[in-house]
Amino acid sequence: MKEIVQLPVFGVFITLLAFIIAVQIKNKWNYILFNPVLLAITFIIIFLLVFDIDFDAYNKGGKFLSFFLGPAVVALGVFFYEKYAEVKQNLKPFLIAVTAGGVSGVLSVVLILILFRVPDFIVQSLAAKSVTAPIAIEISRIAGGVPEITASIVIAVGIFGNAFGPLILKLLGIKNKIAIGAALGTAAHAIGTARAFEEGKLPGVYSGLAMCLNGIITALLAPYILDLFLSF
Amino acid sequence: MVKALLYIFGFLIAGELIRYVFNIPIAGNIIGMLLIFIALRLKLIKLKDVKPASDKLIKYLVLFFIPYGVGLMVYYNLIQPFWLPIAIAVVVSSVITLYVTAIILEKFGR
Repeated sequence: MKEIVQLPVFGVFITLLAFIIAVQIKNKWNYILFNPVLLAITFIIIFLLVFDIDFDAYNKGGKFLSFFLGPAVVALGVFFYEKYAEVKQNLKPFLIAVTAGGVSGVLSVVLILILFRVPDFIVQSLAAKSVTAPIAIEISRIAGGVPEITASIVIAVGIFGNAFGPLILKLLGIKNKIAIGAALGTAAHAIGTARAFEEGKLPGVYSGLAMCLNGIITALLAPYILDLFLSF
Repeated sequence: MVKALLYIFGFLIAGELIRYVFNIPIAGNIIGMLLIFIALRLKLIKLKDVKPASDKLIKYLVLFFIPYGVGLMVYYNLIQPFWLPIAIAVVVSSVITLYVTAIILEKFGR
């Protein structure tokens, strides 16, 4: 058995299996914590712990799947091109809103963590917490963070935004649907975008574009913001 | 499909190459994303040449980061002592991001 789990096919197989089961559960009971990614990750971790299989063995196959994050980010550029005509009439306020939101997100998370005297590697891992996972992972790696910590926090942030984003915005007096869409995409990436599509197609498109744009903005700025504040 | 994949990987390699040559702290895949957007805008490549591959990649994007999420089991002990500051920072910062983005579009959007 020990030899089998060392084969790359083991990691690939168990990931696909966990994902398919997770999607089925999500389709059956539409409950916020039944996010397919969260469920799949939980299943796999439990399985590995129960059968005492270490992460390195699993990741021999896992690597084959995470490899595709690279081309998937490039594919987001195509998505951005396809959809950006739909935000054209609001292009300027949209760009400003997402930039301001994205930058204040990076600044606030970095400053709060520094205030609590959290170790640097955690600050570096969390700077890109609002950005879609494939981009956040790269930002984290380059900044000296731990990509695995980043991925988990990013998913948690997405679920938080998906579950509470629209309610928080409503309490803060936001009524405009496209403002809600853009805010969800900027703060909570693809998982927030899924919620934005529930508010309507246009908010969904704004959210998807905001996600791409904030990914670019954070990738360009986060390394310098971290340099600035962690050098003290 | 193969041609579309070739384009996507081509832009990814171009992004990695630029990152390597200019030694900038921005991931090659993000540079690749910008390059493919620019190439589509300038009509250097056609949407239909890349769309078959890009649609599939985006559709399964969540599947691709599951292994990183599983990696948390290795690093959990490292962040466990700091769960409270992390939770506070993440929630406060997310609310700020949501509000700043939304209020600007609410005031100036159409």
